[in-house]
Amino acid sequence: MTLFLQQLVSGISIGSVYALLAVGYALVYSVFSFTNWAFDAFMVVGAFGAFYAITDFKLPIPLALLFAILFTMLVSVFVERMAYRPLRIREAPRLFMMISAMGANMSIINIINLQFGGHFRNFPQITGETLSVGGIKIGMMDVFAAVFSFITLILLWIFLYRTKMGLGIRASALDLLTSGIMGINNDMVAIIIFGISGILSGVAGVFYGIKYAVFPYLGLVTIKAMIASIIGGLGSLPGAVVGSLLLGILETLVSGYISSEWRDLFTFSLLIIVLLFMPNGLFGKSTKEKL
Amino acid sequence: MKKLLSILLVALLLIGTLSGCSSKKELKIGFNTQLTGPDSYIGQAAKIALEERVEEINKAGGIGGYTLKLITYDSRSEITDAVAAAKRLLEQDKVHAMIGPEWTGAAVPIAQIANDSKIPVIATTASNVSVTVDDNGNVYPYMFRTCFIDPYQGYALADYAYVDMGLRKVASLTDISAAYSVGIQKYFKDHFEELGGEVVAEEGYQANDQEFRAQLSKIDQTDAEAILVPTPTYRDIALIAKQGAALNMGVIYLGVDGWVAEELLEMAGPELEGSILTSGVSSDQPQFAEFNKVFEEKHGIKPNVYAYYALDALEMIVYGANESLKAHNEITAQGIRDAIENMKDVQLFTSKMTMEPDTHNPHNKPALIIEIKDSNWHQLKMFEPES
Repeated sequence: MTLFLQQLVSGISIGSVYALLAVGYALVYSVFSFTNWAFDAFMVVGAFGAFYAITDFKLPIPLALLFAILFTMLVSVFVERMAYRPLRIREAPRLFMMISAMGANMSIINIINLQFGGHFRNFPQITGETLSVGGIKIGMMDVFAAVFSFITLILLWIFLYRTKMGLGIRASALDLLTSGIMGINNDMVAIIIFGISGILSGVAGVFYGIKYAVFPYLGLVTIKAMIASIIGGLGSLPGAVVGSLLLGILETLVSGYISSEWRDLFTFSLLIIVLLFMPNGLFGKSTKEKL
Repeated sequence: MKKLLSILLVALLLIGTLSGCSSKKELKIGFNTQLTGPDSYIGQAAKIALEERVEEINKAGGIGGYTLKLITYDSRSEITDAVAAAKRLLEQDKVHAMIGPEWTGAAVPIAQIANDSKIPVIATTASNVSVTVDDNGNVYPYMFRTCFIDPYQGYALADYAYVDMGLRKVASLTDISAAYSVGIQKYFKDHFEELGGEVVAEEGYQANDQEFRAQLSKIDQTDAEAILVPTPTYRDIALIAKQGAALNMGVIYLGVDGWVAEELLEMAGPELEGSILTSGVSSDQPQFAEFNKVFEEKHGIKPNVYAYYALDALEMIVYGANESLKAHNEITAQGIRDAIENMKDVQLFTSKMTMEPDTHNPHNKPALIIEIKDSNWHQLKMFEPES
C-alpha cells in the first residue's frame, strides 16, 4: 500500500508540472489552432533566466523567479511577433506556422547551448527537505510546485472567466475570424495569449530546473505535456489539467508496477486509445464546419 | 550585359571547385563529436583541445611537410547524425583518419563504413565489444579505440563490489536504450552471480529520462545494499542520486566511466558519498592538473576525460602519420592504419598504449577504481586483468 501511495504522490507531482505546460499549450491551440513547438525553448529560457539571476545578478530567490517569468513572457511575445505574426496575417497554412515554431525552438535552444554550454547546473539552496508522512516521502519542493501550479491555473481561470479581456480571448478561441469582425483586436489577443503562455512555461521551466537540473535540453518534457493536452481534449483548459494528472499518475504506476521499460509504450498506447474512442479527447468539444 | 554577368557568376562558382587543387600537403583529420544535443558536454571541450593541439603541431612545422587540418562535424548526440557525419568525413572530405564517435550506439554502424572507405577510425570512449570486433570474432580492420571494453569494466566492478566491498545484494538501474549500459549490466551480473552475489532487482529507463522515482521506490522495497547505474552520462546518475536521497534510500551507487564529469560532483556530490566507479582516466589525476588549469584559464570551460581521449586519438594519428612517412614517404590512410594496428608502448596524452592487433583494443589498459568522498574523486586502486 505504501508503495502505491508513494507512486501516486510521485505521479501527482510530475502531473502538476505537465499541467502548467499542457494548459499553456492548450491556450495557444484553442485560439490559433496550431502547435507552439517553441514552448520547449521558453521553458529553457525560464530556467536559465532564474538560474543566472540568482548566480550572476545575485538577486534574492523570489525576485529571481519574477525576473525569469517576466523575461520568458517577453521572449514569448517576441517570438510571436517575429515568427508567427507575419505568417498569421498572410493567412499561411497552420503547417507553415508550426515549421516556423520548430525553427524558433531550435534557434533559441542552440543559442543557449552554444552560449552557456550543455552541462547540468544545480539551483543553489532552494531545494528543501523531504517530509515523511506515514512512510511516504514527499519533497517540499514538489508540494510547493504543485501548489504554485494550481494557484497559477486558478488565477488564469479568473482572468479568462471573470474579466472582459478574458471574455475577448474566449471569444477568439471560439472563432478567431468572427471575433475579429466583432471588434476584438486579434493582435492584442495574440500578445496576451503568448504572454500568458510565456508565464506558464517560465514557471514550469523554473520548477523543472529546480527539481531536476538546468540545461538546454530540459524542455524535452513538453512532448509529454502535448500528449496530456491531447488526451484531455485539445483546446480545453480543464481537460489539459486532468489529462496531465492522469498521464503523470499512469506513467509512474506503470513504471512502478509493470516495468519502467514499458512506460512510454503505455503512454502512447493510451493516447491512441483515447483518440480512437474519443477523438476530441476527454473534454474536447467537437467542432464542425457548418457552412 | 546580363549574359556577361551570368558568365562572371559561373566563373566565380567554378573557382570554388579549384579549392581542391591546393599544392600544399594536408593531413586531414576528421572529428565526429557531440557539440549539441543533451550530451554536448562530451564534445565541446574536446573540440577546443584538439584545435589547440593541431595549431601547436602546425606552428612547429607540421608533420614531414604536411599541415594538419581538423574537420569537425556535430553528431548532435544522435546516431543517425553521427553516421551521416562519418560518411561525410570518410567519403566526401576523404580524411586520412577520423576521431570519434564517443558512444557505442554510433560506433557500431560506423565500423562498417570505415571498412568500406578504408580509412582508419578511432572511437574514443565507445566501449562495447562489438565496436571493433564483429559477431564472428573477426576484427574490423579499420576500427580502433582508445578506451577499455565493457566486459572488462563490468567484470572489474563486480569483482571489486563482491571481494573488496563485501556486497552481496545489488540492484541495477540500466539505460535500456544504450548498448553500453546494457552490456556492462550483463557482464556485471554474470560475474557478480558467479562470485555468489545476488542481483535483487533489475530496473530500466530510457535515455534523457529525468524522473526515476518510480523505479527507485520499487528498489527501495528490496534489500539492495547498492544500486548499479551503468549510465553513459553523468546526467542520469546525478538525478538518480538526488531522487534516491529524497526518498531516504541510504544506498550507495556503483558506476562506470560514463559517470565521469566534474559537474557530477557539483550536482550530487553529497548524495553520492561513498559511491564507487570504474574509470579509464580521471580528470583528477595529478598528471592532468597543470593541463586542466591552463585550459580552464584560457578557454573558460573545464576539460574532461573525453577531451583527454580525443587527444590520445590525435596522438595515435600523429604517430601513424610519422610511421607512414618512414615506410612510404607519404602520409596515407592505409599507412596510418597499419602503424596504429602495430603500435607498442607509444606515448599518448594520457599514458602509453599498445594496440592488440587481433581485437584493436588497447592492451591491458588498467581500470581505475574511484570512490566519491567529500564530493571529491578518490582513486582507490588500479585493477588489471590477469593476462
